[in-house]
Amino acid sequence: MMFQEIWDPWLIGPFLWFAGIAGMGSVAYSLLRLFKIEEKLKELSLVIFASVVLGLVFVIADLSRPANMPAAILSSLAQGIFIAKLTESWMTLGITLLFLLLILSFLLTLRHAAVPALAKLTDAKWYLVLLALIGFLVTVYSGFLISSAPGIPFWNTALIPVLWVLSASICAIAVLKILVHSEHVSRFLTRAGLGLDIGELLALVALLNVPLYAGPEAARASAAALLVGPLAPAFWLGVVLVGVLAPMALGFLLMRKEDRKLGVAAASLYLVGALLLRVLVIQAGIFEPLHL
Amino acid sequence: MRLAHLWDQSKCIGCGACVAACNAANYESTDAPNPTWGGLRTNILRITFDLEAKPYLLLVQCQHCENAPCVSVCPTGASYVDGDGLVKIKPELCIGCKYCMTACPYGMRWLEPETGLPRKCMSEECLDRLKAGLQPVCVTVCPASARAFGDLDDPGSEVSKRLRGGRVIRLLANKGTRPKYFVVVGR
Repeated sequence: MMFQEIWDPWLIGPFLWFAGIAGMGSVAYSLLRLFKIEEKLKELSLVIFASVVLGLVFVIADLSRPANMPAAILSSLAQGIFIAKLTESWMTLGITLLFLLLILSFLLTLRHAAVPALAKLTDAKWYLVLLALIGFLVTVYSGFLISSAPGIPFWNTALIPVLWVLSASICAIAVLKILVHSEHVSRFLTRAGLGLDIGELLALVALLNVPLYAGPEAARASAAALLVGPLAPAFWLGVVLVGVLAPMALGFLLMRKEDRKLGVAAASLYLVGALLLRVLVIQAGIFEPLHL
Repeated sequence: MRLAHLWDQSKCIGCGACVAACNAANYESTDAPNPTWGGLRTNILRITFDLEAKPYLLLVQCQHCENAPCVSVCPTGASYVDGDGLVKIKPELCIGCKYCMTACPYGMRWLEPETGLPRKCMSEECLDRLKAGLQPVCVTVCPASARAFGDLDDPGSEVSKRLRGGRVIRLLANKGTRPKYFVVVGR
């Protein structure tokens, strides 16, 4: 069995994780602002901006021709190819969406940290709706990016974008859970996180179960590698136990009585699990063997 | 025009001349390792199956797919299908995202460490040979005439003739890539 070594799991995995935090974090920011919950918005805007920047750092670190990137994109734009590619390549769309989110989140951070006058722009309803939309699309894109790579059968499933949205939503809730102190908001976050966690568990079971029974040879090998193969210890311990079951158990405890320390612990576990999930899904990719 | 490669497994003697010639012509006979595939720097991957009953080998290279995933996923248009039907790369547009490599179901691109460019059949030397009216080097050197190259739209081309006369398969045809690398498996 040979895992794909084209995309570095420890570069692309964190990129997908940061993209999810930034993406669904933006949705969360917009919702909080629209529902007039003002607590910790400055900190959240910083998390979103830092996540976009760090995501870009990780994805650029995996490029084999980073120095050629600006000239290549500009040249592609000048020739009209880049625009045409927006309807064809998820990566073209992703580059555009990440660029837009970078600008939107930068203005948001600036509004909170240095230029309050920007509030007129960034607090406008249209801006918040645009922020939420771009954020959601960044999350969705990060799923389609890998599910649309036909070389790796394990990735070629409609479940990955869905799983990514669920997992990124949990990450955004986890970030808020760490930031926010209000018990009323915390209680809502606990309930929402628990519901999404159950959904994530179901999506995870489906992601691994379906290829085991009906997948191409390579997808079956990938699922087996995660369940019983060389990646199994990291998967069961890091993703299932730390990332899903332990925070779920803490979530049920928190439903009975909110506790800040337990809430932060559950949130931290969620975040670690979400990162490992992405790293392991990338790592588990295997090319279809060729034969006659 | 739809240029295509043909490899006749039933004629191939497994001498490796095509692999060596590709390395010599396109990569200056370097013995530097191919970090993606292992072995030589060449655009032809040799896969040997050690089946007890009937050992055989498979020579694989870029399939020059008509519905090429590497082309559709490329964010900048660096990978493209040229007017002659061959899948080519414009290095000046390549950012090295390697999406084309994860998109190729055949795994037929490898990464050149020095340039960060994904490499594949056909490289510069072979493309120059085509411009000069010559055949790709792997076709020229094959001592068993196991290889052919030509235009599928030309009924008189060597490829078209041999496609009519043999039992032919296309690799991973179920992927919908419409590959133009034909493997003759019998008559």
